Amino acid sequence: MFLARVEGSVVATKKDASMSGRKLLILRPQLVDDRDPTRFRPGVNTIVAVDSVGAGQGELVIFCQGSSARLAPNLKEAPVDAVIIGIVDSVDVLGRQIYSARSA
Amino acid sequence: MRLGRVIGRVTLSQAVPSLQGARWLIVSPLGRDDLSARPGAAAVSREPSLVVYDDLGGAPGDLIGFVEGREAAMPFEQPTPVDAINGALISNVYYHPMP
Amino acid sequence: MMLARTEGSVISTRKHPSFEGWRLAICQPIGAAGQPEGTPVVALDPLGAGLHQRVVVSTDGLAARQAVKDPRSPARMMIVAIVDEPSPAADPARPRGEIA
Repeated sequence: MFLARVEGSVVATKKDASMSGRKLLILRPQLVDDRDPTRFRPGVNTIVAVDSVGAGQGELVIFCQGSSARLAPNLKEAPVDAVIIGIVDSVDVLGRQIYSARSA
Repeated sequence: MRLGRVIGRVTLSQAVPSLQGARWLIVSPLGRDDLSARPGAAAVSREPSLVVYDDLGGAPGDLIGFVEGREAAMPFEQPTPVDAINGALISNVYYHPMP
Repeated sequence: MMLARTEGSVISTRKHPSFEGWRLAICQPIGAAGQPEGTPVVALDPLGAGLHQRVVVSTDGLAARQAVKDPRSPARMMIVAIVDEPSPAADPARPRGEIA
């Protein structure tokens, strides 16, 4: 899993039948910055993931990739390889809180 | 497995039902240079940090072996969307890179 | 499968029960000319590879689960072959001996 920021959503009327009613969100992975571990650095790739937890714009989430993604509820037969499995409340790195949803 | 240093924790406010109450570690994978480095060197490597499911009691500062991919979900009885899991808490490393 | 060189081993106090009793070898993926490629991995070693031997590592989880006899094991990386070559210890530039 990786941490990611929700940057937007994809609206698609025409899509695989097994994905009907599922929200697709645009994610930017967030990696702990090795030069300053009190902050994140953005990953280089943009990910489209199925939402499983009701995530919204701007929230920090964790997402699961690969064939494990289809183990999320109601995705067994869906052609997906990335799914949001949680909304982040807080992140602690090296003994310091570097993210809190309450102060974000 | 890859080797990584536990550098932090993540808590969630929402999670899929199969993962409620789970423990999550932030792990900084060790590259070749990081494995050779003396203890006390930079805690965060240049490898992308990831979130690892943990049921072995890993804590910040620990060295762990983590499994990635579909295999990470194998230990669960119910279908559970996990792609990285703590497989081993490492107590000793014998590393002799070829010059 | 990937070509790799064994460069050590790890000892684990607490691990998934299916890893109990298995040697865990640090394997550095390499190219055909021996150059390191990417980060080291830890693989189950059922064959007893020596230090700095070239090996073939499989990432086939099914084979690894069968080896550890646990269908719910997260095992994935496993040494499945040791490359034939003159003993590494024949080269004085290389350290001698088994992995600690």
